[in-house]
Amino acid sequence: MTPVDRDEAIRALRSRRPRNRFARWTGIVLLALTAFAWTRPELELGKLFRQRTKANVTRFLGEVRPYPLQEQPWDGGVFGGWLETTLGDGVGRRAVLGTLALSVAAICLAGLIALLTCLFATRNVAHPEPFLPGASPPTRWRTYAWRVVVWATRLVYIFARAIPEWIWAFLLLTLLGLGAWPAVIALAIHNTGILGRLYAEVIENLPARTPRALRALGASRTQIATVALYPAAQGRFLLYFFYRWETCVREATVLGLLGAAGLGKEILQAGAGDRHDEIVLFVLLGSALIIAGDVVSAVARSVVRRAR
Amino acid sequence: MSHAFELKQAAVSYNGTAAVHGIDLTIATDEAVAVVGPSGAGKTTLLRLLNGTVRSTGGHIAVLGRSLREMPPRELRGVRARIGFIHQDLSLVPNLRVIQNVLSGRVGDQGFFGSLRHVFFPPRDAVHEVHRILERVGIPEKLYERTDTLSGGQRQRVAIARALYQEPEALLADEPVSSVDPARARDTVALLTDVCRERGLALCMSLHNLDLAREFFPRLIGMRSGQIRFDQPTAKLTDGDFEALYNLERDEMLKA
Repeated sequence: MTPVDRDEAIRALRSRRPRNRFARWTGIVLLALTAFAWTRPELELGKLFRQRTKANVTRFLGEVRPYPLQEQPWDGGVFGGWLETTLGDGVGRRAVLGTLALSVAAICLAGLIALLTCLFATRNVAHPEPFLPGASPPTRWRTYAWRVVVWATRLVYIFARAIPEWIWAFLLLTLLGLGAWPAVIALAIHNTGILGRLYAEVIENLPARTPRALRALGASRTQIATVALYPAAQGRFLLYFFYRWETCVREATVLGLLGAAGLGKEILQAGAGDRHDEIVLFVLLGSALIIAGDVVSAVARSVVRRAR
Repeated sequence: MSHAFELKQAAVSYNGTAAVHGIDLTIATDEAVAVVGPSGAGKTTLLRLLNGTVRSTGGHIAVLGRSLREMPPRELRGVRARIGFIHQDLSLVPNLRVIQNVLSGRVGDQGFFGSLRHVFFPPRDAVHEVHRILERVGIPEKLYERTDTLSGGQRQRVAIARALYQEPEALLADEPVSSVDPARARDTVALLTDVCRERGLALCMSLHNLDLAREFFPRLIGMRSGQIRFDQPTAKLTDGDFEALYNLERDEMLKA
Protein backbone atom coordinates (compact mmCIF):
# COMPACT_ATOMS: atom_id res chain seq x y z
CA MET A 1 0.00 0.00 0.00
CA THR A 2 1.46 3.36 -1.01
CA PRO A 3 1.27 6.26 1.48
CA VAL A 4 -1.33 7.93 -0.75
CA ASP A 5 -3.51 4.80 -0.81
CA ARG A 6 -3.15 4.52 2.95
CA ASP A 7 -4.20 8.15 3.39
CA GLU A 8 -7.24 7.38 1.29
CA ALA A 9 -8.12 4.27 3.32
CA ILE A 10 -7.71 6.08 6.64
CA ARG A 11 -9.80 9.02 5.45
CA ALA A 12 -12.56 6.62 4.41
CA LEU A 13 -12.49 4.93 7.83
CA ARG A 14 -12.49 8.28 9.60
CA SER A 15 -15.51 9.55 7.71
CA ARG A 16 -17.38 6.38 8.71
CA ARG A 17 -16.38 6.55 12.38
CA PRO A 18 -19.21 6.28 14.89
CA ARG A 19 -19.97 9.63 16.46
CA ASN A 20 -21.92 10.38 19.59
CA ARG A 21 -23.84 13.54 18.87
CA PHE A 22 -25.33 13.73 22.37
CA ALA A 23 -21.88 13.68 24.02
CA ARG A 24 -20.58 16.28 21.58
CA TRP A 25 -23.46 18.70 22.17
CA THR A 26 -23.30 18.19 25.93
CA GLY A 27 -19.63 19.17 25.80
CA ILE A 28 -20.34 22.26 23.71
CA VAL A 29 -23.22 23.38 25.95
CA LEU A 30 -21.18 22.85 29.13
CA LEU A 31 -18.29 24.83 27.66
CA ALA A 32 -20.63 27.68 26.73
CA LEU A 33 -22.25 27.68 30.19
CA THR A 34 -18.85 27.78 31.89
CA ALA A 35 -17.73 30.70 29.74
CA PHE A 36 -21.02 32.47 30.44
CA ALA A 37 -20.79 31.99 34.22
CA TRP A 38 -17.23 33.23 34.50
CA THR A 39 -17.77 36.31 32.38
CA ARG A 40 -20.78 37.54 34.39
CA PRO A 41 -20.26 40.91 36.13
CA GLU A 42 -21.06 39.32 39.52
CA LEU A 43 -17.99 37.13 39.27
CA GLU A 44 -15.59 39.87 38.23
CA LEU A 45 -12.21 39.03 39.75
CA GLY A 46 -11.52 42.67 40.64
CA LYS A 47 -14.21 42.50 43.34
CA LEU A 48 -12.24 39.85 45.19
CA PHE A 49 -9.18 42.08 45.52
CA ARG A 50 -10.64 45.47 46.31
CA GLN A 51 -8.95 47.92 48.64
CA ARG A 52 -11.67 47.50 51.26
CA THR A 53 -11.23 43.71 51.35
CA LYS A 54 -7.58 44.24 52.14
CA ALA A 55 -8.42 46.61 55.00
CA ASN A 56 -10.96 44.10 56.37
CA VAL A 57 -8.38 41.33 56.36
CA THR A 58 -5.81 43.45 58.24
CA ARG A 59 -8.40 44.51 60.81
CA PHE A 60 -9.57 40.92 61.34
CA LEU A 61 -6.03 39.59 61.77
CA GLY A 62 -5.46 42.32 64.38
CA GLU A 63 -8.58 41.32 66.32
CA VAL A 64 -7.56 37.68 66.36
CA ARG A 65 -4.44 38.29 68.42
CA PRO A 66 -5.15 37.48 72.10
CA TYR A 67 -6.30 40.73 73.70
CA PRO A 68 -3.63 40.92 76.45
CA LEU A 69 -1.03 40.70 73.66
CA GLN A 70 -2.47 43.34 71.32
CA GLU A 71 -0.09 46.13 70.30
CA GLN A 72 2.56 44.48 72.40
CA PRO A 73 5.57 42.27 71.61
CA TRP A 74 5.00 38.50 71.71
CA ASP A 75 5.35 37.03 75.19
CA GLY A 76 4.91 33.31 75.78
CA GLY A 77 4.12 33.82 79.45
CA VAL A 78 1.32 36.28 78.77
CA PHE A 79 -0.06 33.96 76.09
CA GLY A 80 -0.01 31.02 78.53
CA GLY A 81 -1.86 33.09 81.09
CA TRP A 82 -4.51 34.06 78.53
CA LEU A 83 -4.96 30.39 77.55
CA GLU A 84 -5.36 29.48 81.19
CA THR A 85 -8.01 32.08 81.93
CA THR A 86 -9.89 31.21 78.76
CA LEU A 87 -9.78 27.45 79.16
CA GLY A 88 -8.74 27.36 82.80
CA ASP A 89 -11.81 26.07 84.56
CA GLY A 90 -12.13 23.34 82.00
CA VAL A 91 -14.36 25.30 79.64
CA GLY A 92 -12.44 24.31 76.52
CA ARG A 93 -12.04 20.69 77.54
CA ARG A 94 -15.68 20.41 78.49
CA ALA A 95 -16.74 22.04 75.23
CA VAL A 96 -14.62 19.67 73.09
CA LEU A 97 -15.76 16.57 75.00
CA GLY A 98 -19.34 17.79 74.86
CA THR A 99 -19.20 18.16 71.08
CA LEU A 100 -17.57 14.72 70.78
CA ALA A 101 -20.20 13.07 72.98
CA LEU A 102 -22.95 14.76 70.99
CA SER A 103 -21.66 13.39 67.69
CA VAL A 104 -21.05 9.86 69.01
CA ALA A 105 -24.50 9.65 70.60
CA ALA A 106 -26.13 10.89 67.40
CA ILE A 107 -24.31 8.57 65.00
CA CYS A 108 -24.87 5.51 67.23
CA LEU A 109 -28.59 6.21 67.30
CA ALA A 110 -28.70 6.77 63.56
CA GLY A 111 -26.62 3.66 62.81
CA LEU A 112 -28.75 1.43 65.01
CA ILE A 113 -32.07 2.63 63.59
CA ALA A 114 -30.76 2.40 60.03
CA LEU A 115 -29.43 -1.11 60.66
CA LEU A 116 -32.78 -2.29 62.00
CA THR A 117 -34.94 -0.64 59.35
CA CYS A 118 -32.89 -0.79 56.13
CA LEU A 119 -34.21 -4.23 55.16
CA PHE A 120 -37.69 -2.76 54.76
CA ALA A 121 -36.32 -0.45 52.07
CA THR A 122 -34.70 -3.17 49.94
CA ARG A 123 -36.52 -4.54 46.95
CA ASN A 124 -34.92 -7.98 47.29
CA VAL A 125 -35.70 -8.78 50.94
CA ALA A 126 -38.92 -6.79 51.25
CA HIS A 127 -40.51 -8.82 48.48
CA PRO A 128 -43.29 -11.44 48.52
CA GLU A 129 -40.79 -14.00 47.25
CA PRO A 130 -37.31 -13.07 48.51
CA PHE A 131 -34.53 -14.41 46.23
CA LEU A 132 -36.42 -17.52 45.03
CA PRO A 133 -39.92 -18.15 43.64
CA GLY A 134 -42.43 -20.07 45.71
CA ALA A 135 -44.71 -22.89 44.59
CA SER A 136 -47.48 -20.60 43.33
CA PRO A 137 -47.24 -16.95 42.26
CA PRO A 138 -47.91 -14.47 45.08
CA THR A 139 -51.32 -12.82 45.19
CA ARG A 140 -51.49 -9.34 43.80
CA TRP A 141 -52.43 -8.05 47.25
CA ARG A 142 -49.22 -9.40 48.82
CA THR A 143 -47.11 -7.95 46.03
CA TYR A 144 -48.63 -4.51 46.51
CA ALA A 145 -48.34 -4.72 50.30
CA TRP A 146 -44.60 -5.33 50.12
CA ARG A 147 -44.18 -2.60 47.55
CA VAL A 148 -45.94 -0.19 49.90
CA VAL A 149 -43.57 -1.23 52.72
CA VAL A 150 -40.53 -0.47 50.54
CA TRP A 151 -41.78 2.89 49.35
CA ALA A 152 -43.06 3.98 52.75
CA THR A 153 -39.69 3.22 54.36
CA ARG A 154 -37.88 5.06 51.60
CA LEU A 155 -40.21 8.01 51.90
CA VAL A 156 -39.49 8.25 55.64
CA TYR A 157 -35.74 8.15 54.90
CA ILE A 158 -36.08 10.83 52.23
CA PHE A 159 -38.11 13.04 54.57
CA ALA A 160 -35.54 12.58 57.35
CA ARG A 161 -32.58 13.56 55.20
CA ALA A 162 -34.28 16.16 53.03
CA ILE A 163 -34.57 18.48 56.03
CA PRO A 164 -31.14 19.79 57.05
CA GLU A 165 -29.95 18.92 60.55
CA TRP A 166 -29.99 22.54 61.71
CA ILE A 167 -33.66 22.92 60.80
CA TRP A 168 -34.45 19.72 62.72
CA ALA A 169 -32.49 21.15 65.65
CA PHE A 170 -34.32 24.44 65.41
CA LEU A 171 -37.70 22.69 65.47
CA LEU A 172 -36.68 20.43 68.37
CA LEU A 173 -35.32 23.40 70.29
CA THR A 174 -38.84 24.76 70.63
CA LEU A 175 -40.02 21.36 71.89
CA LEU A 176 -37.15 20.34 74.14
CA GLY A 177 -35.62 23.65 75.16
CA LEU A 178 -31.92 24.49 75.34
CA GLY A 179 -29.41 21.69 75.81
CA ALA A 180 -27.71 18.86 73.93
CA TRP A 181 -30.78 16.75 73.18
CA PRO A 182 -32.16 18.80 70.26
CA ALA A 183 -28.77 18.58 68.53
CA VAL A 184 -28.38 14.83 69.18
CA ILE A 185 -31.86 13.99 67.91
CA ALA A 186 -31.58 16.34 64.95
CA LEU A 187 -28.31 14.73 63.85
CA ALA A 188 -29.72 11.25 64.48
CA ILE A 189 -32.82 11.89 62.36
CA HIS A 190 -30.93 13.38 59.43
CA ASN A 191 -28.27 10.64 59.47
CA THR A 192 -30.83 7.84 59.82
CA GLY A 193 -32.23 9.04 56.51
CA ILE A 194 -28.81 8.95 54.88
CA LEU A 195 -27.51 5.73 56.43
CA GLY A 196 -30.80 3.89 55.90
CA ARG A 197 -30.74 4.72 52.22
CA LEU A 198 -27.05 3.75 51.85
CA TYR A 199 -27.47 0.52 53.84
CA ALA A 200 -30.50 -0.51 51.78
CA GLU A 201 -28.49 0.17 48.62
CA VAL A 202 -25.62 -2.01 49.87
CA ILE A 203 -27.97 -4.89 50.70
CA GLU A 204 -29.66 -4.63 47.30
CA ASN A 205 -26.35 -4.72 45.47
CA LEU A 206 -24.93 -7.75 47.27
CA PRO A 207 -24.47 -10.75 44.98
CA ALA A 208 -27.66 -12.82 45.15
CA ARG A 209 -26.05 -16.26 44.99
CA THR A 210 -25.46 -16.86 48.68
CA PRO A 211 -28.87 -15.62 49.91
CA ARG A 212 -30.49 -17.66 47.14
CA ALA A 213 -28.64 -20.77 48.33
CA LEU A 214 -29.79 -20.15 51.91
CA ARG A 215 -33.35 -19.59 50.75
CA ALA A 216 -33.07 -22.87 48.85
CA LEU A 217 -32.28 -24.73 52.06
CA GLY A 218 -35.32 -23.28 53.75
CA ALA A 219 -34.16 -20.05 55.46
CA SER A 220 -36.58 -17.25 56.35
CA ARG A 221 -36.04 -13.57 55.53
CA THR A 222 -34.61 -12.74 58.94
CA GLN A 223 -32.38 -15.82 58.90
CA ILE A 224 -31.00 -14.86 55.50
CA ALA A 225 -30.40 -11.32 56.75
CA THR A 226 -28.56 -12.28 59.93
CA VAL A 227 -26.60 -15.19 58.48
CA ALA A 228 -25.71 -13.87 55.02
CA LEU A 229 -26.67 -10.26 54.26
CA TYR A 230 -25.46 -8.40 57.34
CA PRO A 231 -22.11 -10.24 57.55
CA ALA A 232 -21.46 -9.69 53.82
CA ALA A 233 -22.37 -6.01 54.09
CA GLN A 234 -20.50 -5.41 57.35
CA GLY A 235 -17.42 -3.83 55.76
CA ARG A 236 -19.34 -1.27 53.72
CA PHE A 237 -21.77 -0.61 56.59
CA LEU A 238 -18.85 0.37 58.80
CA LEU A 239 -17.29 2.52 56.07
CA TYR A 240 -20.50 4.51 55.69
CA PHE A 241 -20.96 4.67 59.47
CA PHE A 242 -17.56 6.25 60.04
CA TYR A 243 -17.92 8.51 57.05
CA ARG A 244 -21.17 9.90 58.48
CA TRP A 245 -19.59 10.15 61.93
CA GLU A 246 -16.96 12.51 60.47
CA THR A 247 -19.73 14.78 59.24
CA CYS A 248 -21.50 14.46 62.59
CA VAL A 249 -18.44 15.79 64.45
CA ARG A 250 -18.41 18.78 62.13
CA GLU A 251 -22.15 19.38 62.34
CA ALA A 252 -22.17 19.00 66.13
CA THR A 253 -20.01 22.14 66.33
CA VAL A 254 -22.34 24.04 64.05
CA LEU A 255 -25.47 22.90 65.91
CA GLY A 256 -23.94 24.07 69.16
CA LEU A 257 -24.16 27.52 67.63
CA LEU A 258 -27.94 27.30 68.02
CA GLY A 259 -27.31 27.63 71.73
CA ALA A 260 -27.49 23.97 72.43
CA ALA A 261 -24.15 22.80 73.76
CA GLY A 262 -20.46 22.16 73.27
CA LEU A 263 -18.10 24.28 71.24
CA GLY A 264 -20.88 26.06 69.40
CA LYS A 265 -22.25 27.46 72.64
CA GLU A 266 -18.83 28.78 73.66
CA ILE A 267 -18.33 30.34 70.23
CA LEU A 268 -21.71 32.02 70.51
CA GLN A 269 -20.99 33.34 73.99
CA ALA A 270 -17.56 34.65 72.99
CA GLY A 271 -19.18 36.31 69.99
CA ALA A 272 -21.85 37.90 72.17
CA GLY A 273 -19.07 39.29 74.40
CA ASP A 274 -17.17 40.58 71.33
CA ARG A 275 -14.16 38.42 72.29
CA HIS A 276 -12.81 37.71 68.81
CA ASP A 277 -9.65 36.11 70.13
CA GLU A 278 -11.71 33.48 71.98
CA ILE A 279 -13.88 32.81 68.93
CA VAL A 280 -10.78 31.95 66.94
CA LEU A 281 -9.46 29.75 69.73
CA PHE A 282 -12.69 27.74 69.88
CA VAL A 283 -12.87 27.45 66.11
CA LEU A 284 -9.32 26.08 66.14
CA LEU A 285 -10.27 23.61 68.89
CA GLY A 286 -13.21 22.52 66.75
CA SER A 287 -11.01 21.89 63.73
CA ALA A 288 -8.55 19.97 65.93
CA LEU A 289 -11.46 17.75 66.98
CA ILE A 290 -12.49 17.23 63.36
CA ILE A 291 -8.92 16.36 62.38
CA ALA A 292 -8.76 13.86 65.24
CA GLY A 293 -12.09 12.39 64.18
CA ASP A 294 -10.83 12.16 60.62
CA VAL A 295 -7.72 10.24 61.71
CA VAL A 296 -9.71 7.83 63.91
CA SER A 297 -12.21 7.19 61.14
CA ALA A 298 -9.45 6.67 58.54
CA VAL A 299 -7.67 4.17 60.81
CA ALA A 300 -10.91 2.32 61.61
CA ARG A 301 -11.89 2.12 57.94
CA SER A 302 -8.50 0.85 56.82
CA VAL A 303 -8.55 -1.79 59.59
CA VAL A 304 -11.99 -2.91 58.44
CA ARG A 305 -10.86 -3.00 54.82
CA ARG A 306 -7.77 -5.06 55.62
CA ALA A 307 -9.72 -7.48 57.76
CA ARG A 308 -11.94 -8.34 54.84
CA MET B 1 24.39 -7.60 24.10
CA SER B 2 22.99 -10.99 23.34
CA HIS B 3 20.56 -11.54 26.21
CA ALA B 4 17.20 -9.87 26.49
CA PHE B 5 16.77 -11.16 30.04
CA GLU B 6 19.27 -12.58 32.48
CA LEU B 7 18.24 -13.80 35.95
CA LYS B 8 20.58 -15.26 38.56
CA GLN B 9 19.11 -16.76 41.72
CA ALA B 10 16.26 -14.24 41.47
CA ALA B 11 13.61 -14.35 44.19
CA VAL B 12 10.40 -12.51 45.04
CA SER B 13 8.43 -12.81 48.24
CA TYR B 14 5.18 -11.13 49.19
CA ASN B 15 4.86 -10.46 52.94
CA GLY B 16 7.42 -13.12 53.74
CA THR B 17 5.96 -15.85 51.49
CA ALA B 18 8.20 -16.77 48.56
CA ALA B 19 6.37 -16.43 45.22
CA VAL B 20 9.41 -17.42 43.18
CA HIS B 21 12.92 -18.27 44.31
CA GLY B 22 16.24 -19.51 42.96
CA ILE B 23 15.38 -18.52 39.39
CA ASP B 24 18.27 -18.90 36.91
CA LEU B 25 17.20 -17.96 33.41
CA THR B 26 18.56 -16.34 30.27
CA ILE B 27 16.51 -15.47 27.21
CA ALA B 28 18.28 -14.38 24.02
CA THR B 29 17.22 -11.27 22.10
CA ASP B 30 15.46 -13.21 19.33
CA GLU B 31 14.21 -16.20 21.29
CA ALA B 32 10.64 -17.39 21.84
CA VAL B 33 9.97 -19.08 25.18
CA ALA B 34 6.81 -20.33 26.82
CA VAL B 35 6.37 -20.71 30.56
CA VAL B 36 4.07 -23.54 31.64
CA GLY B 37 3.00 -24.91 34.98
CA PRO B 38 0.06 -25.27 37.34
CA SER B 39 -1.88 -22.33 38.81
CA GLY B 40 0.00 -20.53 41.54
CA ALA B 41 3.39 -21.76 40.30
CA GLY B 42 4.75 -18.21 39.97
CA LYS B 43 4.45 -17.69 36.21
CA THR B 44 2.93 -14.22 36.47
CA THR B 45 5.47 -13.16 39.08
CA LEU B 46 8.29 -14.35 36.82
CA LEU B 47 6.94 -12.33 33.87
CA ARG B 48 6.53 -9.26 36.02
CA LEU B 49 10.12 -9.62 37.20
CA LEU B 50 11.19 -9.42 33.56
CA ASN B 51 9.71 -5.96 32.97
CA GLY B 52 10.61 -4.66 36.40
CA THR B 53 7.05 -4.26 37.70
CA VAL B 54 7.63 -6.41 40.76
CA ARG B 55 10.56 -5.78 43.10
CA SER B 56 12.94 -8.69 43.49
CA THR B 57 13.85 -9.62 47.03
CA GLY B 58 17.07 -11.36 46.06
CA GLY B 59 19.41 -12.37 43.27
CA HIS B 60 20.46 -10.50 40.17
CA ILE B 61 18.28 -9.36 37.28
CA ALA B 62 19.44 -7.78 34.05
CA VAL B 63 16.99 -6.61 31.40
CA LEU B 64 18.25 -5.62 27.94
CA GLY B 65 21.78 -5.69 29.34
CA ARG B 66 21.07 -3.40 32.32
CA SER B 67 20.93 -4.45 35.93
CA LEU B 68 17.64 -3.50 37.58
CA ARG B 69 19.14 -3.40 41.05
CA GLU B 70 18.72 0.06 42.54
CA MET B 71 17.98 1.57 39.16
CA PRO B 72 16.66 5.14 39.49
CA PRO B 73 12.92 5.55 38.63
CA ARG B 74 13.51 7.51 35.42
CA GLU B 75 15.80 4.85 33.99
CA LEU B 76 13.44 2.08 35.09
CA ARG B 77 10.68 3.85 33.19
CA GLY B 78 12.96 3.87 30.15
CA VAL B 79 13.60 0.12 30.43
CA ARG B 80 9.88 -0.62 30.86
CA ALA B 81 9.14 1.49 27.77
CA ARG B 82 11.32 -0.91 25.75
CA ILE B 83 9.38 -4.01 26.83
CA GLY B 84 5.86 -4.77 25.64
CA PHE B 85 3.51 -6.52 28.05
CA ILE B 86 0.18 -8.08 27.07
CA HIS B 87 -1.95 -8.44 30.16
CA GLN B 88 -4.37 -11.27 30.82
CA ASP B 89 -7.26 -8.78 31.07
CA LEU B 90 -5.88 -6.77 28.11
CA SER B 91 -6.01 -3.50 30.13
CA LEU B 92 -7.54 -1.38 27.36
CA VAL B 93 -9.55 1.80 27.91
CA PRO B 94 -13.04 0.68 26.84
CA ASN B 95 -14.53 4.06 25.86
CA LEU B 96 -11.59 5.25 23.75
CA ARG B 97 -11.26 4.52 20.07
CA VAL B 98 -8.97 1.72 18.93
CA ILE B 99 -6.48 4.22 17.48
CA GLN B 100 -6.20 6.04 20.82
CA ASN B 101 -5.61 2.81 22.72
CA VAL B 102 -2.88 1.83 20.29
CA LEU B 103 -1.29 5.31 20.29
CA SER B 104 -1.08 5.17 24.09
CA GLY B 105 1.50 2.38 23.73
CA ARG B 106 4.24 4.94 23.27
CA VAL B 107 3.59 7.22 26.26
CA GLY B 108 6.53 5.65 28.14
CA ASP B 109 8.89 7.62 25.85
CA GLN B 110 6.96 10.89 26.01
CA GLY B 111 6.39 13.76 28.38
CA PHE B 112 2.94 14.57 29.68
CA PHE B 113 1.88 17.16 27.08
CA GLY B 114 3.66 15.33 24.26
CA SER B 115 1.71 12.16 25.04
CA LEU B 116 -1.60 14.04 25.23
CA ARG B 117 -1.01 15.53 21.79
CA HIS B 118 0.18 12.19 20.44
CA VAL B 119 -2.88 10.24 21.66
CA PHE B 120 -5.60 12.80 20.87
CA PHE B 121 -4.13 14.75 17.94
CA PRO B 122 -1.73 12.28 16.34
CA PRO B 123 0.51 13.32 13.42
CA ARG B 124 -0.08 11.75 10.01
CA ASP B 125 2.77 9.24 10.17
CA ALA B 126 1.64 8.01 13.60
CA VAL B 127 -1.83 7.29 12.18
CA HIS B 128 -0.20 5.51 9.24
CA GLU B 129 1.91 3.44 11.59
CA VAL B 130 -1.12 2.41 13.66
CA HIS B 131 -3.01 1.50 10.49
CA ARG B 132 -0.06 -0.60 9.29
CA ILE B 133 0.10 -2.46 12.61
CA LEU B 134 -3.66 -3.05 12.69
CA GLU B 135 -3.32 -4.40 9.15
CA ARG B 136 -0.67 -6.81 10.40
CA VAL B 137 -2.85 -8.06 13.28
CA GLY B 138 -5.86 -8.31 10.96
CA ILE B 139 -8.27 -5.53 12.02
CA PRO B 140 -7.36 -2.39 9.99
CA GLU B 141 -11.05 -1.53 9.49
CA LYS B 142 -11.48 -1.04 13.27
CA LEU B 143 -9.12 1.97 13.39
CA TYR B 144 -11.73 4.50 14.52
CA GLU B 145 -14.17 2.16 16.32
CA ARG B 146 -14.81 2.46 20.05
CA THR B 147 -12.87 -0.30 21.77
CA ASP B 148 -15.82 -1.58 23.81
CA THR B 149 -17.81 -2.36 20.67
CA LEU B 150 -15.20 -4.93 19.60
CA SER B 151 -15.39 -8.69 20.23
CA GLY B 152 -13.03 -10.40 22.69
CA GLY B 153 -10.75 -11.65 19.93
CA GLN B 154 -10.61 -8.22 18.28
CA ARG B 155 -9.81 -6.55 21.59
CA GLN B 156 -6.96 -8.98 22.01
CA ARG B 157 -5.64 -7.79 18.64
CA VAL B 158 -5.84 -4.20 19.87
CA ALA B 159 -3.77 -5.10 22.93
CA ILE B 160 -1.19 -6.75 20.71
CA ALA B 161 -1.17 -3.73 18.39
CA ARG B 162 -0.57 -1.41 21.34
CA ALA B 163 2.38 -3.53 22.47
CA LEU B 164 3.80 -3.51 18.91
CA TYR B 165 3.32 0.24 18.48
CA GLN B 166 5.49 0.64 21.57
CA GLU B 167 8.35 -0.62 19.33
CA PRO B 168 9.65 -2.85 22.11
CA GLU B 169 12.77 -4.98 22.08
CA ALA B 170 11.02 -7.80 23.88
CA LEU B 171 7.42 -8.88 24.32
CA LEU B 172 5.93 -10.48 27.42
CA ALA B 173 2.47 -12.03 27.48
CA ASP B 174 0.67 -13.29 30.57
CA GLU B 175 -1.90 -15.97 29.67
CA PRO B 176 -3.02 -13.96 26.63
CA VAL B 177 -5.40 -16.67 25.40
CA SER B 178 -6.98 -17.93 28.61
CA SER B 179 -10.39 -16.39 27.90
CA VAL B 180 -10.99 -17.28 24.24
CA ASP B 181 -12.03 -20.47 22.47
CA PRO B 182 -9.38 -22.95 21.21
CA ALA B 183 -9.42 -21.83 17.55
CA ARG B 184 -8.96 -18.15 18.45
CA ALA B 185 -6.31 -19.06 21.03
CA ARG B 186 -4.29 -20.86 18.37
CA ASP B 187 -4.62 -17.88 16.00
CA THR B 188 -3.43 -15.43 18.60
CA VAL B 189 -0.42 -17.49 19.67
CA ALA B 190 0.53 -17.98 16.02
CA LEU B 191 0.24 -14.24 15.40
CA LEU B 192 2.40 -13.37 18.39
CA THR B 193 5.16 -15.84 17.56
CA ASP B 194 5.13 -14.79 13.88
CA VAL B 195 5.28 -11.08 14.63
CA CYS B 196 8.12 -11.51 17.09
CA ARG B 197 10.08 -13.58 14.57
CA GLU B 198 9.56 -10.95 11.83
CA ARG B 199 10.67 -8.10 14.06
CA GLY B 200 13.41 -9.98 15.88
CA LEU B 201 11.83 -9.55 19.30
CA ALA B 202 12.35 -11.77 22.30
CA LEU B 203 9.05 -13.36 23.34
CA CYS B 204 8.19 -14.85 26.69
CA MET B 205 4.62 -16.05 27.19
CA SER B 206 2.93 -17.93 30.00
CA LEU B 207 0.42 -20.50 28.79
CA HIS B 208 -2.06 -22.93 30.30
CA ASN B 209 -2.53 -24.73 27.02
CA LEU B 210 0.28 -27.29 26.74
CA ASP B 211 -0.51 -28.26 23.15
CA LEU B 212 -0.09 -24.66 21.96
CA ALA B 213 3.11 -24.29 23.97
CA ARG B 214 4.60 -27.42 22.41
CA GLU B 215 3.48 -26.52 18.90
CA PHE B 216 4.70 -22.92 18.73
CA PHE B 217 7.67 -22.63 21.08
CA PRO B 218 11.09 -24.23 20.56
CA ARG B 219 11.93 -23.86 24.24
CA LEU B 220 9.75 -24.45 27.30
CA ILE B 221 10.17 -23.53 30.93
CA GLY B 222 8.23 -25.57 33.47
CA MET B 223 7.45 -23.90 36.77
CA ARG B 224 6.05 -25.32 39.97
CA SER B 225 5.99 -24.01 43.54
CA GLY B 226 7.90 -20.87 42.58
CA GLN B 227 10.81 -22.73 41.03
CA ILE B 228 11.93 -23.72 37.55
CA ARG B 229 11.51 -27.50 37.23
CA PHE B 230 12.72 -27.78 33.65
CA ASP B 231 14.14 -25.48 30.98
CA GLN B 232 14.57 -27.51 27.80
CA PRO B 233 14.21 -27.49 24.04
CA THR B 234 10.67 -28.66 23.38
CA ALA B 235 11.86 -31.61 21.30
CA LYS B 236 13.69 -33.10 24.26
CA LEU B 237 10.69 -33.00 26.61
CA THR B 238 8.58 -36.12 27.06
CA ASP B 239 4.98 -36.55 28.15
CA GLY B 240 6.37 -37.82 31.44
CA ASP B 241 7.99 -34.43 32.12
CA PHE B 242 4.65 -32.65 31.78
CA GLU B 243 2.82 -35.20 33.87
CA ALA B 244 5.38 -34.75 36.62
CA LEU B 245 4.97 -30.96 36.37
CA TYR B 246 1.20 -31.02 36.80
CA ASN B 247 0.89 -34.05 39.06
CA LEU B 248 0.31 -32.13 42.26
CA GLU B 249 0.36 -33.62 45.70
CA ARG B 250 -2.96 -33.32 47.45
CA ASP B 251 -1.96 -30.49 49.76
CA GLU B 252 -0.35 -28.56 46.91
CA MET B 253 -3.59 -28.89 44.94
CA LEU B 254 -5.54 -27.34 47.77
CA LYS B 255 -3.10 -24.47 48.11
CA ALA B 256 -3.27 -23.47 44.44
